[in-house]
Amino acid sequence: MDLQNMNPSSLKSRFATRFLRALTKINAQKPISSSSSREIFQRYRRIKVAADKSMAYSVRSRRSWSRATLWRLRTRSPRSRLATLARRSSVKTRTTRAASHGATVVDRKSHGKENKEDGGVEAEELRELVPGGEAMDLCNLLDETAHYIKCLTTQVQVMRTIANLYSLH
Amino acid sequence: MELNAGAGGNGSHKTASERDEVAALESLQFTDEIRRLMSAPGGDNASSFTALLELPAPQAVQLIQSPDSAKLIAAPAPAPAPNVDDFRGSFQFPFNCGLIDRAARFSVFAGDGNINGNNKSNSPEPTSYNSSASLQKPVKNEPAETESSQPLVSDPTVENRSIKRKDREKVKGSSKKSKTSAKESSEDAEKLPYVHVRARRGQATDSHSLAERARREKINARMKLLQDLVPGCSKISGTALVLDEIINHVQSLQRQVEFLSMRLAAVNPRIDFNLDSVFTAESGSLMDSNFSGMVIPMMWPEVQLNGNRQQYPQQLHLDAFQQPVSGREEVCNSYLTPENSLLSYDSSGNSASLHSNQLKMEL
Repeated sequence: MDLQNMNPSSLKSRFATRFLRALTKINAQKPISSSSSREIFQRYRRIKVAADKSMAYSVRSRRSWSRATLWRLRTRSPRSRLATLARRSSVKTRTTRAASHGATVVDRKSHGKENKEDGGVEAEELRELVPGGEAMDLCNLLDETAHYIKCLTTQVQVMRTIANLYSLH
Repeated sequence: MELNAGAGGNGSHKTASERDEVAALESLQFTDEIRRLMSAPGGDNASSFTALLELPAPQAVQLIQSPDSAKLIAAPAPAPAPNVDDFRGSFQFPFNCGLIDRAARFSVFAGDGNINGNNKSNSPEPTSYNSSASLQKPVKNEPAETESSQPLVSDPTVENRSIKRKDREKVKGSSKKSKTSAKESSEDAEKLPYVHVRARRGQATDSHSLAERARREKINARMKLLQDLVPGCSKISGTALVLDEIINHVQSLQRQVEFLSMRLAAVNPRIDFNLDSVFTAESGSLMDSNFSGMVIPMMWPEVQLNGNRQQYPQQLHLDAFQQPVSGREEVCNSYLTPENSLLSYDSSGNSASLHSNQLKMEL
């Protein structure tokens, strides 16, 4: 088994690298012997945040959902009051700006109401699921969903492998 | 002979997807129509048409266009009421059920004498030319359709264009067929190798509807991609159900991520790695060989950059003893650097992969 087989800059390897690093950091911070449920819950939250963050960082800002995730993470953690207030007022404008900045084909009209009409209820649900999906028209939403599904699948694969590795011993 | 060779060659390429399509096709009472056609007493039309269909598409077109077409059409009448199976095998159906619907509805298989009747009545030529003329247009559509569908099962945009072409055919209406058949034959002949978008006759050409149509096609193309991505979605037809499936899939993936992170939080406490078991486990169902290579440096305070992986286990055993002794902070710091160095050996440079924004999308 040689290490050169896999593409070193593929999404999978980038995510795995970052996530492992974050994991070691988390493990190093807390004393490992504790097994109270509260500690485990805290660690679980940290790990989940680390997973989402490393995936979003692996995608950089190329995708609207990754930008939205990074924005969400950035404003959620450090500052509480001011950050949430600022976030609520500016999240719409920020994501729309980011979305229109990134998507080259989107014209002004596509943010209008008439382009969100098909898909209906399901499109709304999808918008809630995909981060940053509220400000997208259906066309871009489907695009983002496809990439998001691909990244989620990678994430699940990597995490499952790590968990298996850990639980072997 | 040519005909049988074509049919045999095409028939051997049956795949499961074709069988699915065939099953769908049967539900359209398609085969009944075919059988009816084949056994029709006006046997000239039926047998010659289906015999033509046995040919691969371009050959069929050639036959039609050649001046001897009338003779050739009449000739293979002995190709005996061809089996529906052969017919299926040579006829590549497009994936899109909408297209199948339109095809079934549209021309020859409808069985009504509308189309054929018009042509026959409008052109009082000898019967052989009549039959060839009446067959010309519908048969051209079918080979054109097969031709367009063959390379295009994977290409939704061009398939959508062929849908547009079908739309155009329908829109023209049966009354125009005799006048436009000659014109169409030249158009179709040009377009056979590849279907291009054209300005439509008889359809609104204002920018709004064109934009609408283009948008709808983009959305349909993306829905097809999503259908391929989500397992079990390709069988479902209808936008709403497909979207439901996609939503379920995304939700399940997100839940899996949560569950796995919970598992990692619970299992994590034991970081004592036994590398041998890691290597043996790697030969199992682990995802990538590269992966355990990245896990290894986590345990190492110091790593010698080696070109050979076999040296790793020995060094690890030496260091693993020292690890529980060292403090947390030191270990933490040293985790990161060897991992960096290892990965820089491993790949084209960790920093490069971190900062490279020009990585292509891997969709």
